Amino acid sequence: MKSKFTNPLFSSYIKNEGLFDEIFDDNKKVRKTYKKIFELYRDHSNSDYAALNEKAKAAFFNQGITFQVYRDSQTQEKIFPFDLFPRIIEAKEWKTIEKGALQRSKALNAFLWDLYHDKQIIKAGIVPMELISSSANYLRQMQDLDPPGGIYNHISGTDLIKHSDGNYYVLEDNIRCPSGVSYVICNRNALKRALFGVFNHYQIHNVTNYAENLLEIMESVKPHGVDIPTCAVITPGIYNSAYYEHSYLAKTMGIELVEGRDLFVENDFVYMKTITGPKKVDVIYRRIDDGFIDPLEFRQDSAIGVPGLFAAYKKGNVSLVNAPGTGVADDKAIYTYMPEIIKFYLGEKPILNNVHTYHCSRPDDLKYVLENVDKLVVKPVDEAGGYGISIGNKLTKEEIENVKTVVKENPRKYIAQPIMSLSVHATYIEDSNSFEQRHIDLRTFTLLGNNKEFVLKGGLTRVALQKGNLIVNSSQGGGSKDTWVLKK
Amino acid sequence: MAFDYTIKYKSNNTYENPVFEAYWQFMIIPENNVSQKLVFSDFKTSVNARIEKSINGYNFQTARIHCKQPFADIQFEAEFKLTKEEINPFQFTSKLEPSQEFEAINSLNFKVEHESYLTPTELTKLPSKHIDLYKFDPSISILDNLVALNKWTYLYIYFKAGVTHIGSLLNEIIEHRHGVCQDFSHLFIAIARQNNIPARYVSGYLHQGDGFFGDSQMHAWAEAYIPEVGWVGFDPANDILADHNHIKVSHGKDYNDCSPIKGVIYSTGKNETQHSVEVTYEQ
Repeated sequence: MKSKFTNPLFSSYIKNEGLFDEIFDDNKKVRKTYKKIFELYRDHSNSDYAALNEKAKAAFFNQGITFQVYRDSQTQEKIFPFDLFPRIIEAKEWKTIEKGALQRSKALNAFLWDLYHDKQIIKAGIVPMELISSSANYLRQMQDLDPPGGIYNHISGTDLIKHSDGNYYVLEDNIRCPSGVSYVICNRNALKRALFGVFNHYQIHNVTNYAENLLEIMESVKPHGVDIPTCAVITPGIYNSAYYEHSYLAKTMGIELVEGRDLFVENDFVYMKTITGPKKVDVIYRRIDDGFIDPLEFRQDSAIGVPGLFAAYKKGNVSLVNAPGTGVADDKAIYTYMPEIIKFYLGEKPILNNVHTYHCSRPDDLKYVLENVDKLVVKPVDEAGGYGISIGNKLTKEEIENVKTVVKENPRKYIAQPIMSLSVHATYIEDSNSFEQRHIDLRTFTLLGNNKEFVLKGGLTRVALQKGNLIVNSSQGGGSKDTWVLKK
Repeated sequence: MAFDYTIKYKSNNTYENPVFEAYWQFMIIPENNVSQKLVFSDFKTSVNARIEKSINGYNFQTARIHCKQPFADIQFEAEFKLTKEEINPFQFTSKLEPSQEFEAINSLNFKVEHESYLTPTELTKLPSKHIDLYKFDPSISILDNLVALNKWTYLYIYFKAGVTHIGSLLNEIIEHRHGVCQDFSHLFIAIARQNNIPARYVSGYLHQGDGFFGDSQMHAWAEAYIPEVGWVGFDPANDILADHNHIKVSHGKDYNDCSPIKGVIYSTGKNETQHSVEVTYEQ
């Protein structure tokens, strides 16, 4: 149904029934949290926004805040589209998110410790052995190794959505190399530059303290016997889609950004080559996947790793953040056991909801999935970035048959979930030069260290810029919004 | 009775174009275990680089070279002396009845504890059409089953060097019925695992005094786990239990966990590798 709002910017804002709109309630009234900003935004004309939008885009491009898209015939640098309308999260609502994200990160950490030690959760029959042993990310070399401080997932990114019932649901836990935090900070800066005035009217938490907390977390897991650790960020290089973030984090933490060839291992210690000679490195935030970190231990064809790094790690001479082998718990099939995992290790009820999941490896679930492909989201368990996902109600008959065939061939590789309706938010659309409803999600960032924990009070709100598209990953043409967490 | 062994390992790598930087990792050092004790080791290399001792991901000893100067060929030599005890094959007889043994291997705890050596890998995966190639007999002990499997494997494959390579999959081995000690071991391991017996790949040296199959390089055999007994070595290429002639270096899920030499070479063009191994003993 079509409705007119007083603000010309919202003249073509079509509020779809059945979707949770973050700004307007069911009676099309602006929600309390957004009242002030809505009034402030009304002072600007459409052309003002068009100009502001161009300026923001130019600023991102000039600063090199870009990413790369894989699987295009030509890989190219793109800016991550930034939206001028911030997403606001109330203090009370945030409290739940923060507690829930922390709970999940801690439970996953306990789970990883258990998987690489006694495997009690498997012996108790809660998580099937098959799920672990068939995972390509299960690193048996990590068996009985005690990472410093007992921490595996120092950095976790939890992806949440708000469903039409108004509740948050976790879509997945990213604990390999979750990216996006640099955009959180850059979005804040960009919005401050574009519309500084609006910040006067809201008390919001800052997000710039992320880097200092990350550095503290890294230092807290320094190797035994090291007094003041030397830390570094290792990147696969300038062609990685998240290279901007790697350099941004290194810069803001005030530590070196290195590539594999800048490091070498001698007598099981890691050194970086500097103009004043070798310098020992103690803690490495590695943004290289497990398989590539050390060609002598893992993939021999890796040209981006450091030969001998894993032996240095095993001997406790260098700490790796996140620990190798965390990927086994960053698996969409493991996700479905999260309520059980939280209960088993923490004795608590999950604070954040899981989306109900059907495991195609279970015969009953498989049967249901094959009969209801049109009503479900079918996902491969081990692909990141939104690749290989099929959304049932968007498929043609032929495509549905294809999905069935693929799932039947390799049931272990697929899970299915009901189609969740992501909440929508007012988003500036260039083509219509006005705000329209677009689906959004939220990635939060949680840090765990030796007796230290931190949840960034803010997050990455990703926007699906194509009308009706439910996949918000940047690699699938999504944008992002500044995310405000209110102090009260 | 104890045996004193001397092992001489030599490897020679030549490169078409000069190499500017290189890392090698040799996993050729005999491990210390109940039946063997390393008493001496010495390493030499033709390039100007230090030889570092380290470990691999599974805690087996490695010797590593990092060469930073250009060169066209490299020699690496190692010498080991060790004492080896005779292995009494009767110690492997289980006190359990066959039915109890099979019950033990089917418990969840057992499966979880031995997960690494029960899960097929690419090199130890039986092709689906050959999944029932060899079935264990539940009426006889696991040891007897494994001894029978050892013989079966020995008779099934014709020992022939140069027809398979380190990446050869079981499909090829089963259909062509030829291969070398790696292939015998992979097939033995795959079948043991298929029958729920944990089995692992062993890399080491064979003293060839009595005309055993193997070659003048390194040898490979298998170990299988018997409840209440432990790991027992089987050499399917020779149809014997591993004994005092088998000097163990490392074990793993398959060859890939145990490859004796790994290199990361910054160069272009072809290269050639030669190894030789000499095992001698005094009683």
